[in-house]
Amino acid sequence: MKLRGRHVIFSLVLFVFGFLITFSYQQTKNFTQPNELDEQEWERDFFYRQQLIQFEDKNNQLQREIDQKRQDILRLERQLSAEAEEIEIAVDKKTKLQLITGELPIQGPGLFVTVRDSEYIPSEENVNQYIVHDRHIQLIINEMYSAGAEAIAINGQRIFSDSYVYCVGPVISVDGIQYPAPFTIEAIGDPDTLQESLEMPSGVIDILLNDQIEVEVGKKQTIEMGARIG
Amino acid sequence: MWLPVLFLVVGIALGFLTDFTIAEQYTKYLSIAILAAFDTLFGGIRAHFEKTFDQMIFISGFFFNITLAVILTFIGVQLGVDLYLAAVFALGLRVFQNIATIRRHIFQYRKQINQKKFPF
Repeated sequence: MKLRGRHVIFSLVLFVFGFLITFSYQQTKNFTQPNELDEQEWERDFFYRQQLIQFEDKNNQLQREIDQKRQDILRLERQLSAEAEEIEIAVDKKTKLQLITGELPIQGPGLFVTVRDSEYIPSEENVNQYIVHDRHIQLIINEMYSAGAEAIAINGQRIFSDSYVYCVGPVISVDGIQYPAPFTIEAIGDPDTLQESLEMPSGVIDILLNDQIEVEVGKKQTIEMGARIG
Repeated sequence: MWLPVLFLVVGIALGFLTDFTIAEQYTKYLSIAILAAFDTLFGGIRAHFEKTFDQMIFISGFFFNITLAVILTFIGVQLGVDLYLAAVFALGLRVFQNIATIRRHIFQYRKQINQKKFPF
């Protein structure tokens, strides 16, 4: 009985002892393992850091590419705007030329010249010397073009580059349409220049007056002319 | 005779099988408790050789030493003083002393047996 009791006590003490020993052993093992884990974690950390650096490098590169592209775009835009300006200038020029050639309707300040046959024709004289002839009209038109007229119309009919004016007896034919006297020749351009060039001493108006033709010159704020039809 | 060995094995197995771990700051207590257990165990063996072995003293010493060591360590931690070093020092010293005494007793014991076998 006594022996047994002692054994029980020994058993109890050894049980606790063994438990403590192994538990401590396990505990130590558990605390040494985290170091390995730490190392693994460190490696992983390193790996991710490397990856991050790579990504940042790539980002940087891409950013630089974007900058480059933006600059390219800017350059192209400048080029386009320059081209657009050139086109605009060209269009302006074309429009101006179209206005002059008569492909577009035109309006602006200008001058009008009205010529009519002389009212008094002495009976002993030749009537031909007192009426307006095609050469007078041509003279006026040429003088006006020389003075910088942009568009000219006779009795409202516009003169083009291939127009013609000639006499058919008492009337004048402009591009095949007859007009009787008086004739009103309108010119769009600088009115002062036009008038001065016409009224030059021994100029067009003097010639007309010498030919017994009545002339009336006046400025007009706006003259409108239509485009060529057909 | 087999019962203590069986319980030792069972205790070891249980220690291996326990899955839970305690926080790192408490491992100090565990080591101190182990040291106290060692001390008591060797003290018991020594007492056995000196024929002064008492069950009550042995078992109370076992648990009391462990508890005391743990309490000392706890107080040391609370005060910021490494009091557990004192426990480690005292217990370690006693373990060595006990082992030395046991060694001497074993030699004496063998001498006695030899003398009994060859009494000339």
